[in-house]
Amino acid sequence: MTARNPRNRTRTLTATAVAALLALTAACSSKAKDGGDDDKQSAGGVKTGQGISGKTIDLGVLTDMTGVYATLGKSVTQAQQLYVKQVNADGGICGYQLKLTVRDHGYDPQKAVAGYTELAPKVLGFTQFIGSPFVAAVKQRIDGQDKGLVLPQAWSAHLLGSPYVRVIGSTYDIETINAIDFLMKEKGLQKGDKLGHVYFEGDYGENALQGSKYMADKAGLTVVEQKIKPTDNDMTAQVAALKKAGVKGIVISAGPRQAASLVGVAAAAKLNVPVIGNNSAFAPQLLATQAGPALEKNYWVASPSLPIGADTAEAKKLVADYRKAYPKDSLDNGVVAGWTAASVFGEALKKACESKDLTREGVDKALLTLSSFDNGFGVDQDFSDPKAPSSHQSVILQPDKSAVGGMKVVRQPGEAEQAASYTPSAS
Amino acid sequence: MSDAVATQAEPAESRTAPAGSAKTLLTRRRTYVITACALLLLALPFYLDRFWLQAGLFAMAAAIGAIGLNLLTGATGQLSMGHAFFLAVGAYGYCVFAGERGQEINGLGLPPWLAAVLAVLVAGVAGGLFSPIAGRLKGAYLGIATLALIFIGQHVLFNAENLTGGANGRDVPAMSLFGLTFDESEITVANVPFGSAEKLWYLGLVLTLGCGLFARGVLRGRPGRAMNAIRDHRIAAGVLGVPVARYRGAVFVLSSMYAGLAGVLLALVFQRTVPDYFGITLSLEYLAMIVIGGLGSVAGAVVGAAFVSLLPQLLTRYSDALPLVSAPGTGGVAPGEASRYLYGAAVVAVVLFLPGGLVQLAARRARKHPQEDA
Amino acid sequence: MSDVSTFLELLLNGVSMGSVYALIALGFVVIFRATEVVNFAHASLLLAGGYVTASLHDDIGFWPALGVGIAAAAVVGAAVEFLVMRRYRGHDHSVLAIVTIGVDILLTTELTRRLGTDVLTLGDPWGDAVLTVGGVSIAHTRIAAFVAAALLITAFLLTFRYTSWGVAMRAAAESSETAALMGVRLGRVSLGAWAVAGGLAAVAALFLTVFPTPGLERATSLAALKAFPAAILGGLDSTTGALVGGLIVGVTESLATGYQSELAFMGRGLGDLAPYLVMTLILLLRPSGLFGTKELARV
Repeated sequence: MTARNPRNRTRTLTATAVAALLALTAACSSKAKDGGDDDKQSAGGVKTGQGISGKTIDLGVLTDMTGVYATLGKSVTQAQQLYVKQVNADGGICGYQLKLTVRDHGYDPQKAVAGYTELAPKVLGFTQFIGSPFVAAVKQRIDGQDKGLVLPQAWSAHLLGSPYVRVIGSTYDIETINAIDFLMKEKGLQKGDKLGHVYFEGDYGENALQGSKYMADKAGLTVVEQKIKPTDNDMTAQVAALKKAGVKGIVISAGPRQAASLVGVAAAAKLNVPVIGNNSAFAPQLLATQAGPALEKNYWVASPSLPIGADTAEAKKLVADYRKAYPKDSLDNGVVAGWTAASVFGEALKKACESKDLTREGVDKALLTLSSFDNGFGVDQDFSDPKAPSSHQSVILQPDKSAVGGMKVVRQPGEAEQAASYTPSAS
Repeated sequence: MSDAVATQAEPAESRTAPAGSAKTLLTRRRTYVITACALLLLALPFYLDRFWLQAGLFAMAAAIGAIGLNLLTGATGQLSMGHAFFLAVGAYGYCVFAGERGQEINGLGLPPWLAAVLAVLVAGVAGGLFSPIAGRLKGAYLGIATLALIFIGQHVLFNAENLTGGANGRDVPAMSLFGLTFDESEITVANVPFGSAEKLWYLGLVLTLGCGLFARGVLRGRPGRAMNAIRDHRIAAGVLGVPVARYRGAVFVLSSMYAGLAGVLLALVFQRTVPDYFGITLSLEYLAMIVIGGLGSVAGAVVGAAFVSLLPQLLTRYSDALPLVSAPGTGGVAPGEASRYLYGAAVVAVVLFLPGGLVQLAARRARKHPQEDA
Repeated sequence: MSDVSTFLELLLNGVSMGSVYALIALGFVVIFRATEVVNFAHASLLLAGGYVTASLHDDIGFWPALGVGIAAAAVVGAAVEFLVMRRYRGHDHSVLAIVTIGVDILLTTELTRRLGTDVLTLGDPWGDAVLTVGGVSIAHTRIAAFVAAALLITAFLLTFRYTSWGVAMRAAAESSETAALMGVRLGRVSLGAWAVAGGLAAVAALFLTVFPTPGLERATSLAALKAFPAAILGGLDSTTGALVGGLIVGVTESLATGYQSELAFMGRGLGDLAPYLVMTLILLLRPSGLFGTKELARV
């Protein structure tokens, strides 16, 4: 092709010039490698790396405040913001102020992955990551290159095994084993009985099912499975099926609404068997609904830590502070989960500061040295083994309108003997 | 689909018709605009960070899928709400064909390029299997019948664990072509490190361009006229000798293959497929894309895809800087909500005020200012 | 518990849920008949009605609140018709269907933002009372749902047949141009259709959020998805079809859930899927649904 008139020649030239310019400037793009190492040494002799700039430690939060886990996401995020505020007011950690960058993915995989991609280069780690499928989606990158500490708000055993993704508290399978143990020791469930298990399709429910199957095998029970979807709100058909099967106890690994419906229908259908749920299967808002009385009477919840209304100094302080900061919002176990995760991260940062290494690697290592961490919610967390959850213990709670957060403790933290011998299979 | 679109497409064709010789090609402003855009797109990976490249890749995958849907819904007038299903077939098909045989998850371990081709074919076959329904139902009936595909798809994705990995999905094997592997292993080009996003960017560009050109060829040729005839008046088209049922079936298959390819590209960008993604929301998003961009045209699909897939990400990213939008956790309108308001309003506003979609804006401008060089 | 009474219980439960789905499906059908538009915004009308009822019942009592809720949903429906649907200048019904998706996104986002993380009760008088006859138990709310749906649907069918609005609507469905020439005000017909659909959705919202469901919250509107197969398998332009379709969906769903252990070979959690499978099967045999108008042209 030749340009025949002068005007076109100019254009062709311009185009060529632009192309050449682009090629040249590519070399001096900000992405180009400068050859230097990212790690810096600050005045105090503390080594720092990605996620720290000036006197600020950046932390990421990938949450869901507008999707299906909005209730959990809101409580966890607000508790973590409260933690950061208090730490900063006390002078920060290692002389650094903490800063949370929150991205709400609304339980949309595309937004979750985009949020991770955006924040990963900027933050030291993530104090919250809701949605275990999304954690799984970026796990390759976390383990492969990024290596920042991620504390997911999901208790699935599938997440175990990575030195960077650390589950806080017992996983759903272990929690379910402890829950069934409670039914057997205190609610009259016996060897040879049938046990109903209503569970969500997906990671949470299926991990819990692994626990109940294991426990059934060890304790001589038969599990009657009922799989449901998060959109199922009416448990009438499930209760009819369980009644027909003649179950003597029911475990529910679903959401609060499903638990409320199940307990209400079971009571109405005169299926008088104890019902116990995982920690995600309760919300204090339910006590104000018609299901309230039935829940208080015949429903228990297994939880990885003491409830928000626990009788400890730390819990009481948290309740007071949270109420002051968010007077309109309800206190639930999401607050405890968020607070605990933020304090675990904070503790790891303090340890890393002591060993003068606030790089991602340094924080990961520091967490491994936390072998007995308790922030006032009754359970010792041991983070020294990435393959195991940080605890095997569960607390059994009962809904109670008069208690703060709607739950009171009926069995102190403990672990069933079967839970001790159980090894979660990370797959 | 609508008359507005049909009349708007006409001048576009007549404008391009005389662009035969090299001389007219060189004297037209459009050539330079296109060249500049192409150069810009080629240069972007050298400057943008991974977040933007990934957002762009999502948009490219969406564009491929939307082009496919526009052939079906926009050009032929067949409403489909099952597009997400065919995306899933492509994404998971690729994983199954290319994945290694694992302990719990099966795979055939084929070369990735072959796996991608097979995945697209399987998506086409899936579309073909649905043709007894697709060929017989019309309008709203077809739209809602295709919803069944979403529910069937979700059920299979969650339950066929040895193929799909269940709720947590399965890892996506990296693409590899001509000895180049599109994974995280860094190669350095002009001193810029190229990871998976940078490398995939070029693959995405090639695929999007190829798909766009092919669809344009279909739409501008004989099949395109037949498709529009079916859309505008099915019975008359039949009377004129268009094999209506065969065309409708074929377009359904073609559109499914486009969706399958979009699924493969999405899977490569995500690096992991999760079933939650391929739900009814995704299907609705694709419909929104073609309506916002412009029904029945390739450009419309691409513009709409860029709009719908980039808007939420932009709003989330710049949530801190937007007026009226408060940071998550502080009460008020959250960025997630703000983007949904805008997205909903955009769908409504475009249909009411720009029945031809966003591309109509460009067409109007072109009509007001006829080609200066021509 | 005997097998027979389990079956009866599942069946009764399915029938009563089915009658609620029929109410929603009827709304679809009414709009479709009047305007040939598939209304994807139905879910948000449902949520709007439920939300108004839930926020008022404490102050003005349940029945007035329900009345206001129904009226509010009807107004929202009519507003959508007046502000959006009527403004569309083209005449492609698929495009209008897509507009309703946009409307749905707007309304649902606003309502879920207001609802936040709450679970609201509607203050209904039935509570969790249960009627047990011969080993088969059914909640009072379910009986109420069935009775209310039956009354409303009968009333609707009569209106449709004997009032001038009903005649106008049937005329519009037959051929809108002829109807317009004969003096039928199409605008009024479609405005009425949207209002009626809104009101029906508000009633459905009530029965979707009372016992055995804990209350109204953001996910409630998803139930409207179940009315799609109901409306289609009955025939989109048939009111009888909506009724039958709703019942088929309700019963299928209930039985597929109750017998999931027996159906485990198909994968568990079939409840959601089963209505769609039945729908697909019916559409294969009858492309216009069970009672829909058959299209005569074969090309």
